[in-house]
Amino acid sequence: MEPLVEHPRAALHAYLDGELSLEGSLAVEEHLAGCPACRQRLETFRTLRKLVRAARPEAVEAESAFARVVPSAAGTESTAGPDATATTSARAEPVPNMPAVTDAPPGRGVGLAPLRRARRWPPLAMAGGLVAAAAVALVVLIPAQEMRRAASEVAEVHARARDTGRWVETASDDPSAVARWLEPRVQYPLPPFPTGDGFALRGARVEALQGAPVATAVYEVRQHVVDVFAWPSHEGDSEPIPTVTGPWTVCRWAHAGVAYWMVSDAGSDDLKRLAGFLKAQRT
Amino acid sequence: MDDEAREFEQFARPHAAAALRLARTLVRDEADAQDILQDSFLRAFRHFRGFSGESPRAWLLSIVRNVSFTFRKKQGRFGGFEAAEPDEQLEELVDDGPSPEHTLLQACDAQEVRVALARLPTQSREVLVLREMEECSYREIASVLEVPIGTVMSRLSRARSQLLRELVGPTGSKN
Repeated sequence: MEPLVEHPRAALHAYLDGELSLEGSLAVEEHLAGCPACRQRLETFRTLRKLVRAARPEAVEAESAFARVVPSAAGTESTAGPDATATTSARAEPVPNMPAVTDAPPGRGVGLAPLRRARRWPPLAMAGGLVAAAAVALVVLIPAQEMRRAASEVAEVHARARDTGRWVETASDDPSAVARWLEPRVQYPLPPFPTGDGFALRGARVEALQGAPVATAVYEVRQHVVDVFAWPSHEGDSEPIPTVTGPWTVCRWAHAGVAYWMVSDAGSDDLKRLAGFLKAQRT
Repeated sequence: MDDEAREFEQFARPHAAAALRLARTLVRDEADAQDILQDSFLRAFRHFRGFSGESPRAWLLSIVRNVSFTFRKKQGRFGGFEAAEPDEQLEELVDDGPSPEHTLLQACDAQEVRVALARLPTQSREVLVLREMEECSYREIASVLEVPIGTVMSRLSRARSQLLRELVGPTGSKN
């Protein structure tokens, strides 16, 4: 192999991953010896790789899926044999809540349609099962502790946006422009994010709550920034009850098939008014 | 049946977590991901005795990927996988000089990395998950994605560059 005159790009990654032939490695090393920029890139990507590895989420739920297929393989929850086909039809249990319970992606319905299971949350899943069995309207009871955890995650996300100065990925005060920007990125239907009543739409960004993208509309009221997270949900309507987490006021509520988190350094009253405003615009 | 189940367990179980992580990567929704995992196991269970390849993991992961693909098509919400981006177009990321992005990068935590990953296109997410989280070889990845190894290399290179940009912003200009 001839020595690399150009900076290795894909080959640098293959080198980092130990996937090059001996000859290929030597060629890259030869280049690296004379190219500080590439040495730097190599180190940067090495660090990146370490970071991604460290961010690997747990996947303990894999066990239960396995057990449903191979009953003898694990524990008690297996009733279905290998021939069971109740996979995509076994969808009747409601799910609830927010992305923030564990490190799972949000249990979000698509198109406001299918109800989901709270598989990562046994007590809730049980409650949900009962509700489904009784065929009554879904009432989500979110344990206080889980709420606090979720709230502090939302607050963290907000604080990070402030710290980095990256409030919005798209700056716009036009609700339909914001919707057009958000929709393809989160891939679920959005509620309107209107502007008015002292609440100015500043734009939007996409945040990951528990690893899944969540639409985040950014409002300003009396010079306070408010993040509004929204995703489809089948839980019943609920009123915003603001709580204070450090410097932030946080509240969660649901209205007509959409669950919301709001977080801001504005006061409780502002958040309640904003919730009221968003609701009013949907009816 | 019991023998078969035990055999399947030995065959598949070590890769169950990897399979779930890949499913999550491809459909994002936890409930969907678990359904896909279960469906994939069912298929694998029916066919694993005929498997003769070199990597059970790659075989299982490719089932997960196919099931996810079918699922997404059915959902219609993604219109199938995103159109493949041209593999040749690698962006030059770094110039010489000291490396501020390296310093910024070192300050990132796991949550930020997950946020950034979630923002990448599917094609980049899946290759990163397979390589970094599951530590698959290029050959295994090529077999899961059904692409040549050269394509694995270029996708990985692009995916890492995209991830870096998500984490530290475009080189030389923050915000």
